[in-house]
Amino acid sequence: MPAHLAFLRERAGPGLAYAGALPFGDARVDGCFPPQMGGLPLGALHEIGAEGRGAETGELPAAFAATLIAGICGSLRGRGQAPVLWVATVPDLYPPGLPGLDPARLVLVNPRNEAGVLAALEIALRAGGFAAVVGEVGAMDRVASRRLAFACQKHGVTAFVLRRWPHGNRVPDRQASAAATRWVLAPAPRLGPRLGPWGRWQVTLTHVRGGRGGSWLMEVPSDIDSARAGGKTVPVRVVAALADHTITAPPDPRGSVADARVAGNRQAAGDG
Amino acid sequence: MTVETLRGQRVLVAADAEGLVPGQTLASARALYPGLIALEADPAGDIAALRALAVWAERYTPLAVAETEQDHGLWLEITGCAHLFGGEIALLADLRARLTRHGLPACLAIAGTAGAAWALARTDGQDGAIIPNEAAEAALAPLPLAALRLEGRCIAGLRRLGVRTIGDLARLPRGDIAARFGPLPMSRLDQALGRAAEAIAWPHPPAPFLETLVFAEPIGTAEDLVRALDALAERLCARLDAAAAGGLRFVARFFRVDHTTREIAVIAARPVREAAYVAKLLGMKLETVDPGFGVEAITLAAEETATLSATQAEAFAVADELDQLAAVVDRLSNDIGAERIWRPAPFASHVPEQAVTRLPALTTAPAWERDPTQPRPIRLLRRPEPIEVTAPVPDDPPILFRWRRRVHRVRAATGPERIAREWWQERQRSASDQINERQRSASDQINERQRSASDQTNERQRSASDQTNERQRSASDLDNRPETDLLRDYYQVEDADGARFWVFRAGLHGGDHAPRWFLHGLFG
Repeated sequence: MPAHLAFLRERAGPGLAYAGALPFGDARVDGCFPPQMGGLPLGALHEIGAEGRGAETGELPAAFAATLIAGICGSLRGRGQAPVLWVATVPDLYPPGLPGLDPARLVLVNPRNEAGVLAALEIALRAGGFAAVVGEVGAMDRVASRRLAFACQKHGVTAFVLRRWPHGNRVPDRQASAAATRWVLAPAPRLGPRLGPWGRWQVTLTHVRGGRGGSWLMEVPSDIDSARAGGKTVPVRVVAALADHTITAPPDPRGSVADARVAGNRQAAGDG
Repeated sequence: MTVETLRGQRVLVAADAEGLVPGQTLASARALYPGLIALEADPAGDIAALRALAVWAERYTPLAVAETEQDHGLWLEITGCAHLFGGEIALLADLRARLTRHGLPACLAIAGTAGAAWALARTDGQDGAIIPNEAAEAALAPLPLAALRLEGRCIAGLRRLGVRTIGDLARLPRGDIAARFGPLPMSRLDQALGRAAEAIAWPHPPAPFLETLVFAEPIGTAEDLVRALDALAERLCARLDAAAAGGLRFVARFFRVDHTTREIAVIAARPVREAAYVAKLLGMKLETVDPGFGVEAITLAAEETATLSATQAEAFAVADELDQLAAVVDRLSNDIGAERIWRPAPFASHVPEQAVTRLPALTTAPAWERDPTQPRPIRLLRRPEPIEVTAPVPDDPPILFRWRRRVHRVRAATGPERIAREWWQERQRSASDQINERQRSASDQINERQRSASDQTNERQRSASDQTNERQRSASDLDNRPETDLLRDYYQVEDADGARFWVFRAGLHGGDHAPRWFLHGLFG
């Protein structure tokens, strides 16, 4: 039986293979991803949404995607100024306000409708050469998301789909999606009367393939523009709810049993 | 017969009965023919029909154009085409027969220049004339001046000098005519006699890079069309390669058996001459082509070209980032339009909605400077949305505001950042206002003149048009209100949930208008 299984595995090939991972640099977040990844999978499809009014205007998903892409661009050393394609029907993205992401990389596409957004995303993914592609859509059915996920894995480009339905549009039905991770963002108030340069977010990882979800308070550091040149991690920090400073990460909860868990998870990921 | 209203009178434009001439009033025509049927003239429809006729006339030559400026007619450039129809006489006869069959009587003439042909076709008794170049001068000499495509005032002036025919004009000293009537009479004469070139805007200008494929049997299936396009692209790109050129715009025309044409056009963001690439771009649009009962011939033309040296072409083989980007940009621009793909670039303006400009997607990335003391939102609403605000002190940020039917309680705020409209734009605007004002007073004067020179009907019309003027003026006053433009105090506010907004107060307290609040953007 094991021999048979090995034979099948060999025939099936490596299966789901991501083009690497982008760590957050914080064990509480990185520990939620599959252990062999240890960070946000690259060359995969990610879905970012928001709660309440944020789903209409989509400012938090855009900002979170921008910080993630800033991390990806930092890790893409030898690729020079690979462009970032941002596809949306509503042209309200304001490049000077993107945290971390250099607006000079941006190429903006404004199709007439959401079908055009999905088509443009797929064209860009299949052509390759982008640091990342971002699309803002309201509804994405299962087939569309699978197509995008396959294109991501085949060509090693990371795609972000920001779920957003502009003011007055019907809230689309939630459908199963093939995204590797799904995030939901909500604003969180800072303490004190002073406003920092960037906001604070309640980031919830609702789904990650081969991992477990979690929810954290995150902030963009105020020196993100100077930090974006050097970092190979996502330029955000996890903060405590009651104070205006970074909390230190506890030791890795996996601890000494990490090896066993890695083996177990790999088995699970391979089977999934 | 058709009529139009000219200076309050109904006059004939075209008539088909004895004794009626264009320019006659409808009343006098009715006196002659009490039972005549009058139809309203439709100049736009006439021109559209003439353009359609020009497309039809491309069966004789690829260069056919509807001439609509001076007098409606068609120009066909038949150089090198006449032998296909058995010579010029046979071509003219064929054209006349086909037009007559469609119920279109026509005056036809063939000459060495467009001007001479125009003159002959519009002179009585010259219908069907075929004048070779060397006989043009003698043939044109007895024709009236009106045959030279001159303005009525110019013709009247020459008449007063005793110049009645083209021959009379040709005998006069050139300099004196030019000094008195401008360069037009002599240049028209030269163009008619072939001494000066005349540029004609053909709707389908001859493309030097054109490949044609004619089929023995009409084809119609998608596979056949794709194969034909592949072959055409192969041949065209070989010629582009030999000429060290690359195409920026490719047009494929499909000639169907029912004598209609379908065409698809694709654009490339930078010059290309790879056959497979061109065929792929065209193939994307092929589904929009309806082959009908079959396609007899296909042409593929590179209508816009640019120099593309061999070394550049080799560099294309290397899949660099720009190359991959160009491929995506080409596909998307052919899908959704090139203006929908752009690269944002900074623009030196403090007004937020003007601080970002659009550049073509393939330009090199411009450098952005970010000022940390001036926070900018990640979403900028297309136009600021008015909000209802409660502010404790007039100059303070709001403590409560209502936007899109939701109330937001402000927890913290920073600001203000004062952004004023740039003074040079202010001056431009006031200048354009002055121009508008002048136009308005001019149109009022015209109205005045109309009133003094006309009857009650016009009086009624005038008051109606005055009302429209009034309405326009009040609308533009509404636009010119200074609130959103002149002075804005921007605040970054955070509500109790932690969501951040960019709101501004437009205008100052104590001014003519009370200040109003707007929401302009959202922070990430």
